[in-house]
Amino acid sequence: MVNLTIDDKQVTAPKNATIYEAAKANGIKIPILCHDKKLKPFGACRMCLVEVEQMKGRQIPACTTPATEGMIIRTSTPEIVKARKMVLELLLLNHPIDCPVCDKGGDCDLQNLTYEYKVDANRFVDEKFHLDIDYANPLIERDMNRCVLCGKCARICDEIVSFGAYTFINRGIETKMGCEFDEALNCEFCGSCVSVCPVGSLLARPFKFKARWWALTKQKSVCSYCGTGCNLTLGVKDNKVLTTVYDENQGFHNGQLCCRGRFGYQFINSDKRLTAPLVRKNGVLVETGWDEALEIVVGRLKGGIAVAALATPRMTNEELVLFKRLMETVGSPNYDHSAGYAHAALTKGFARSFGTSASPSTILDIQKSDLLLVIKTDAYETHPVVGFEINLAVKNRGVKLNLLSDKRGKLSKLPGAKTLVHTPGSEIAVINAIAKSILDAKLADGSAVAVPGYADLEQALAGFTPEAVAAQSGLSAAQIKELAADYAQAEKALIIFPIGLAYAGHDSEFASAVANLAILTGKLGREGCGVLCMAEKNNSQGAVDMGFYAPLGGMDAGRIIDGCASGAVKTLFIAGENPAVSYPDHARVQAALYKVECLIVSDLFLTETAAQADVVLPACSFAEKEGTFTSVDRRVQYFKPAIRKIGQSRSDFEIFAALIARLGGQAPASPAAAFAEITAATPAYTGMSYASLGEQGAFAAVTVKPALIAPQAPAPAGAPGKLALVVGSALYHNGTMSQHGEGPMYVCPEGYVELSRGDAARLGIADNDLLTVASATGSVKLKAKVSLRMPEGVLFTPYHFGATPVNQVWSGAAVTWVTLDK
Amino acid sequence: MNPITPIINGLKITLAHLFKKPVTLQYPDERPKVAERFRGLHALKVSHSKAKCVACYLCPTVCPAKCITVEAGEDASHDKFAARYEIDMLRCIFCGYCVEACPVDALKMTGEFELANYRREDFIYTKERLLEKK
Repeated sequence: MVNLTIDDKQVTAPKNATIYEAAKANGIKIPILCHDKKLKPFGACRMCLVEVEQMKGRQIPACTTPATEGMIIRTSTPEIVKARKMVLELLLLNHPIDCPVCDKGGDCDLQNLTYEYKVDANRFVDEKFHLDIDYANPLIERDMNRCVLCGKCARICDEIVSFGAYTFINRGIETKMGCEFDEALNCEFCGSCVSVCPVGSLLARPFKFKARWWALTKQKSVCSYCGTGCNLTLGVKDNKVLTTVYDENQGFHNGQLCCRGRFGYQFINSDKRLTAPLVRKNGVLVETGWDEALEIVVGRLKGGIAVAALATPRMTNEELVLFKRLMETVGSPNYDHSAGYAHAALTKGFARSFGTSASPSTILDIQKSDLLLVIKTDAYETHPVVGFEINLAVKNRGVKLNLLSDKRGKLSKLPGAKTLVHTPGSEIAVINAIAKSILDAKLADGSAVAVPGYADLEQALAGFTPEAVAAQSGLSAAQIKELAADYAQAEKALIIFPIGLAYAGHDSEFASAVANLAILTGKLGREGCGVLCMAEKNNSQGAVDMGFYAPLGGMDAGRIIDGCASGAVKTLFIAGENPAVSYPDHARVQAALYKVECLIVSDLFLTETAAQADVVLPACSFAEKEGTFTSVDRRVQYFKPAIRKIGQSRSDFEIFAALIARLGGQAPASPAAAFAEITAATPAYTGMSYASLGEQGAFAAVTVKPALIAPQAPAPAGAPGKLALVVGSALYHNGTMSQHGEGPMYVCPEGYVELSRGDAARLGIADNDLLTVASATGSVKLKAKVSLRMPEGVLFTPYHFGATPVNQVWSGAAVTWVTLDK
Repeated sequence: MNPITPIINGLKITLAHLFKKPVTLQYPDERPKVAERFRGLHALKVSHSKAKCVACYLCPTVCPAKCITVEAGEDASHDKFAARYEIDMLRCIFCGYCVEACPVDALKMTGEFELANYRREDFIYTKERLLEKK
């Protein structure tokens, strides 16, 4: 700590603080334009000039000058105010001052400072700029005439997003922020630049001219796309969510969002939302009242022998518990979520390896680690904001990054990143080989021998010598040994991998194999160490914690689907899932949906699945209800409704409560009461309440009891003349719901198949060619996307799109062997 | 006093007034001369054959009666314009703050004061009705 005097006030500040940070921490406001707490100091705008007595009263920038012992600082002498006024005058000289038509008005740093410093005239005269405005993309509008050259957009895009879309171009008065070759912006559209722009140079087009900033009600909430658990602030006007508002103090991510979080909110107020219950009469779905619809559902659920339920892990913890209670009231043990296997890594893998079905590490460990081992570069696509954290750790803190993946990706481009590209489907064998190398090189931690299962594992790994695995995985033995040594010798190391519907290969065996690495090397239970398993949906971890998966004696999702087709299941209640698109094997799911006697669906939209239902109940989105979501790192977060419910829609909580009441059961009166029951019944949630969660949320407790499990690796497969298709997530999408978000659909409107340049040249395929992808299961037509990141012989396709259902070729295997035809 | 006397006195005054110049304005036969700064019905000023209004939302923001509804639109050249501009005359208190707030001098108040109507809907003045007549 250092002691210094700011404006005659004795203050202390941390040793590495700048004058600006020291003043801010002590409640003294210094105006800034180019500084952002997330970015490195830059010192471009000269608004934060202060006088330091020791420096002979010279004016120095507070944002770049470190605070030192005994400094005597003045922040607002008449000279400083004069200097700041001049800075503003010079900025306003070229600024168009078109505040009436600029969406930034009201939230504009330049406008606020001009007002604060009463700059109402300008001593200087100059021409305004007449640069072309970039309207080329539908998400971010760039008007460089308004730019004050603070450089925040370029810095955030480089330092945090690691994309590098912007830079300063030209010199002197001609300087401007430009994209490559001064062309239109074409990036990953996370909108980080929009969020930090202090003026109206970068604006969100979906919100363009929709409302003024001051007319918006700002409601804090939690994002309902992926499992990262990012905090959102929804901008609401007239019962409509019009935008997401940036708040740099929100969440572990300091307000950073990805494309779908920032630009994908339109599903909330979509015209396509269901507004009344629908019942099938004479083969057609017709609108009806809630009473009739619920009576039909109750009539079907009563008795409950042949009843099954599938739920989406997008529902709140309270709703999942209530849905489970509904099934218990009905007397059916057949309920599951996400195709049964999507969370097996947690429910089975971690349950046996760690003695808990949750990740032992948190997202905060990323910054505290020395080495990150990311399995699948898709971790960036599935959880982009975790990807930002990885970028920050690697670029700012020098954390080493090792990647093990079946394709390269954005993370591979980070400085010093080592990417091992293995053949698809060989990940478990490779991880076993790493474990074997660790054992062989005597790099295992001393504690490992005492862990149950050590001897069995040692024996089981005998066949996984790096040399043997190298042959089938396309890696060299040296690479595997090097990765093993890197991981084992790092002081602190964290393993990160995504799971989800599209990652069938990341199953319980895979999770145990990964867990073995952490247990063997003792990288567990310490800060910056452990394993972070990133489940796909916003409340995937919650669904696991609430136990919404097949109990002993109950059917899991796969058996429920088969049961529908065979007649064992007569009534299927699907809440929020869209198996027709998202579950593997389209034909098998369609047969089930067609054959089942009564299909009940509660959803926001008339999805491909809901369209086949006998009863459709209109549910409401996260913005219309309250509850808690649990993120991938066990952070339980409470959120409140931002708008009133659309039409007659009801929250799933109300639907399940009404059904339980009609079936003669007891349901908690409110989500708060349900959460109280959860905290009483779930040890990890003990002591939590809506009030104590507040805006920060709280981490569910985790107790790890490590056990070494010998994982089964699938036999290496291959099909001569065929290509290996791996299914996954696209950066702009999450599940099938993002199809109703305008932002994601602007950037990535349809399914595609990504292939290497080599394969494209060999098969004579160019970008955007319409290809027929055929497997043993079926075929689907997809557009070609030729990319540098794919290894030869491997294809990648995202699974989110109802218009091009990839599950027609994908039967749920980790690798699908396909042929490509034009 | 004779009870008739006051009545006759009163009728005298009435009779005298019949031959005097009338005190009140003979509306509607006579029209009032409206002062220049009178705050009557609003008008949206027109320039280059379109409304000057840029839909900055300052008038609905400042309006104490909350009678102005603006919805901005984006025209073909990506500029902002008022796709919808409505004033609810039943709520308007004719304070003139909207005119004062306007940064582009797009709004004025006219001398028009005959705002009576038969139906409530007719008191909602849409953009078309508000556009300045020349």
